[in-house]
Amino acid sequence: MSEEQAYEPKIVAFLCKWCSSAGSDLAGVSRIQYPANATPITVPCSGSISPLYILSAFNKGADGVLLSGCHIGDCHYIEGNYLARRKIYLIKELLEMVGVEPDRLRMSWVSAAEGAKYAQVVKDFVADLKPLGPQDKLKADRT
Amino acid sequence: MEKILDKQRLDDWIAVLTDWDAFAPAVEDDVWAFRPVAGAVRLDHPNTKQPPKGFAFPQREVFFTFEQIKGEAPRLTQKLPQGKRRVAFGVRPCDGRGTVRMDRVFADHVDDPYYQTRRNNMAYVGLACNKPVSSNCFCLSVGGSPVGSDGLDVLMTDLGERYFVAAVTETGKALMTVAGDLLKKPEVADRQRLKDLHAEAVAQPQRAIHDADGAPAKLKASFKSPLWEELAQACIGCGICTFLCPTCHCFDINDEVTGAAPLKGSRVRTWDNCQFPDFTMHTSGHNPRPSVGARLRQRVCHKFQYFFENFGMHQCTGCGRCISDCPVGIDIVHVVNKVTEHAG
Amino acid sequence: MIDVQSIRDAARDLLTRGEVRAVIGYRRGSRGMLAEPVTITDPEQADELVWDATCFHNLALYLVEDRKALAHAQRTPTLPIAIIAKGCDARAIVVLMQEHYFKRDEVYIIGVSCEGGGVLVEYKLARLLNGAQALSAVFDGDELVVTTAAGEVRLPASEVMADRCLECREPFPKEHNVAFGEDKTGRQLAAPFTALGRFEALSAVDRWAFWRRQFERCIRCFACRSVCPMCYCDECVVDSITFPVAPDTTAEEKANRIRWIERSAVRSENITYHMTRAMHLAGRCIDCGECERVCPVNIPLRLLNNKMELEARERFGYEPGASIGGPSLVASFRDDDPGQFIR
Repeated sequence: MSEEQAYEPKIVAFLCKWCSSAGSDLAGVSRIQYPANATPITVPCSGSISPLYILSAFNKGADGVLLSGCHIGDCHYIEGNYLARRKIYLIKELLEMVGVEPDRLRMSWVSAAEGAKYAQVVKDFVADLKPLGPQDKLKADRT
Repeated sequence: MEKILDKQRLDDWIAVLTDWDAFAPAVEDDVWAFRPVAGAVRLDHPNTKQPPKGFAFPQREVFFTFEQIKGEAPRLTQKLPQGKRRVAFGVRPCDGRGTVRMDRVFADHVDDPYYQTRRNNMAYVGLACNKPVSSNCFCLSVGGSPVGSDGLDVLMTDLGERYFVAAVTETGKALMTVAGDLLKKPEVADRQRLKDLHAEAVAQPQRAIHDADGAPAKLKASFKSPLWEELAQACIGCGICTFLCPTCHCFDINDEVTGAAPLKGSRVRTWDNCQFPDFTMHTSGHNPRPSVGARLRQRVCHKFQYFFENFGMHQCTGCGRCISDCPVGIDIVHVVNKVTEHAG
Repeated sequence: MIDVQSIRDAARDLLTRGEVRAVIGYRRGSRGMLAEPVTITDPEQADELVWDATCFHNLALYLVEDRKALAHAQRTPTLPIAIIAKGCDARAIVVLMQEHYFKRDEVYIIGVSCEGGGVLVEYKLARLLNGAQALSAVFDGDELVVTTAAGEVRLPASEVMADRCLECREPFPKEHNVAFGEDKTGRQLAAPFTALGRFEALSAVDRWAFWRRQFERCIRCFACRSVCPMCYCDECVVDSITFPVAPDTTAEEKANRIRWIERSAVRSENITYHMTRAMHLAGRCIDCGECERVCPVNIPLRLLNNKMELEARERFGYEPGASIGGPSLVASFRDDDPGQFIR
C-alpha cells in the first residue's frame, strides 16, 4: 500500500441539530456507503458555530472541518444560517490569508431529507483532503 | 586569563567550539534575539528584546508526561532537558547580573532540576557596554556596571578593531583555552585602552534611581501609599514588563491533556505574570490584588523590597526594557524615585 | 496646527463648570519626549495636557476601564466623562456605543483632528535623526517639526508616520462634542490597505512562511489584547479563569474544564489566539493600530484586522465605527451575501 492510500484524513463535522444531523442519520439508516472519516458533533444551529470551534478542531488535529446546516430559508431559528454564512465566509478568508489551504474548511447545506447528499459531501471532502496530506499548520505539537 | 581577539577572528573562535551550540544576537523582523549562530557574528547589537533568561528558564518547560489506563496507577516519565552545552555571545552586563538573581531563586533554597540542568549546561560570554545601549539604561544606580562581569563566564570589551577578552569563571577559561592561538596576549597599550574605555563607560550619563539603598525600607513604609494607584493609572495589565525582564521568574504549572482514553498528557511550566489581572484570582472569585496599583506595587516591591529581604540584593539590574517597551509609559525609575521621595 | 492651549482651556472649562467628572487625555511622560495617557479630575491639572505626534494611545480604552471600575463599585455617575479623541479613537467610541457599552450622553468627546499628520513611529524617527535625541515632535501641515539639542529639524511627515496613519481614511473625529483642528478627511497619503495589499500579493506558501515566523515569535504577553478598546470581555477564552465556578462545581469539573487554548506560547496556541481575536474584532476593529504598535516582538497584527475590515467593506458594505445605530457586522446579513463557497 502506498503512503497516499494509507492516509485517511480526520474530519470534524459540526452539524446542525435540525437538518444536517438528521440528514447524516438518514444516510446511516438508508445504508448509504460513505467514508467513516467524519466525526459528527451536533450543534443547535449552524449559526451557533463559533470560529473558535473550527480553530480548536484544527488545533486538536483535524485535517478538515465540515460545517453543515439547514438550507437558506429553512433555518429553525429563521436566520441562523444567514449569520453562519457571513461568519464562515470571514474565517475562510482569514485562514486562506495566513496560508492554510482553503479546502480544509468546507460548508454545505444538508436538509433532514438529504441523506444521499450528506454521504456525497463527505465523500467529496475526503477525496479533496487526501491530496493535501495531514494538516500540521494549526495542529498542536505537545511534546 | 586575559587575551586579545581580532574582531574578524570571532567567527573562528565560535567555529572551534565544537562541543558547544553557540548563540548570538541576531535581528529578524527588526527584533533582536539570541539565535543559533548561522553565519558571521557581529556584536553590534543594542540590548536584545528579551534577555537570555530563557536559556535556563524557557517560557515553556515540560516536567513530565503522564499516562493513565483506567484502574491503574498513572505512569510518569520525567523529561529532563538534554543536549549539547550552550554558549551565548554578546550578553550585556545587566543580563549577566540577571542570571545571578535567577540562580538565587532556582538554586539557593530549592533544587529545581530543570533550571539547574539547563543552567549548568550554559555559558555566557558578555560584551561590555562602552556606551549605554538604550536611553533607559540605569544599571549604575542599582549597583551594576556597564562593564561588570557578574554572572558572566567571559567578558569581552570592544577596543575598536579588537576585543579584550577576560575570563571570569573556570568555564570561561575553558572556552578561551579551546581558542588556542586565536587569542593573543594583550599589549600594555591594550590594557591601557581597556582601562580608559571602562572608565569612560561608567562615566556615561544614565538614568538613575536616586536611593536604591534606601528603597527596601522606604517601600515597606509606603505599602498603603495612594501613589501606587496614581502611578499605575494608565497600566493596561499586559505582560510586557515582566516577560522582557531579566529577573522575573514567576510561573504557572498546567497539565496539557492530549488524550482521554487512556488519559495522556504533559505537565508543563509556563511563565506567568503578576501584571495579569487573573494572576492572583482565587477560585472563589476574590482577587487580593484587584487593582492596577496593587499589581504595580507588587512588581516594584518584589524587585526593590521583597527580593532584597530574601537575598540581600535588588532584583532589578537596570536594563531598562520594562521602561522602553511599556505601551503607556510606566517607568520603574520614575515610580521608585517618586515613592521613595514621598516616603521621606 | 492645533494650539495645545485650546485643548487645555476646553478641559479646564469643562471641569471648572462641573460639566464632566474627569478628562482623559495625554501628558508628558517621564521617559524622554513621549506622551502618556492621563485622567485628570482637577482643573489645575489641565495645563499638564499635551497634544503632539507621540499621542499614540487610543484613549477609548480608558472609557472601558472607567465603565468596569464603575460597575465594580456599583456606582452610577451623574456626570459624563470627557475624552480627547483622534479620528480612530472616536470611531472606537462609536463602536462601543453601538454595542451599548455606554450611552452617547455619558461621554463628552473632545475631538482632535490629525490634519495632515497622525502619530510618529519611534524607530523611523530615530533612523532619520541619526542618533540625535528628539526633545519634542509636532506635526505642522505635511511636516514633522522636531526639536533636538542642536535645534529644530523639519522632516516630511510621511517618512516618520505610522502605517496606520498613512493609510487612515478618516483623520478627523466625526463624532464629537467639540473638535479642534481642520477636517482633512479625504487626504490621501497612502492608499488604504496598502500594507495588506503588499502582503496578499504573496503566494500561499510564502504567506504561511511569513505567519509561521510571526506566530512562533509571539510571547503571549497579551499587550495586543490589553491595549484594545474592543477587547473588553470580562472573561477571555485564553484565560485560565474562563470557567464559571458555582458552589456545587466539583474539583473534577474544574480539572476537566475546556481549555480552548493552552498557556504555552507555542505556534499552535499562538495562532489560535490571534485568529480567534481577529475574528472577534471583525466588523469592530477601527484600525487604530495600537495592537501592532505595542507588540514587543513586532508582529504585524494590523494585517489580520485589516483583512477582516476589507472583506467587511467589499463583501458586506460594512464600515466599522461609521454609525452608532444599526446592527453589527456579524449580527446582520443580506440576502445576497456571498455563498458560492457553500456546497
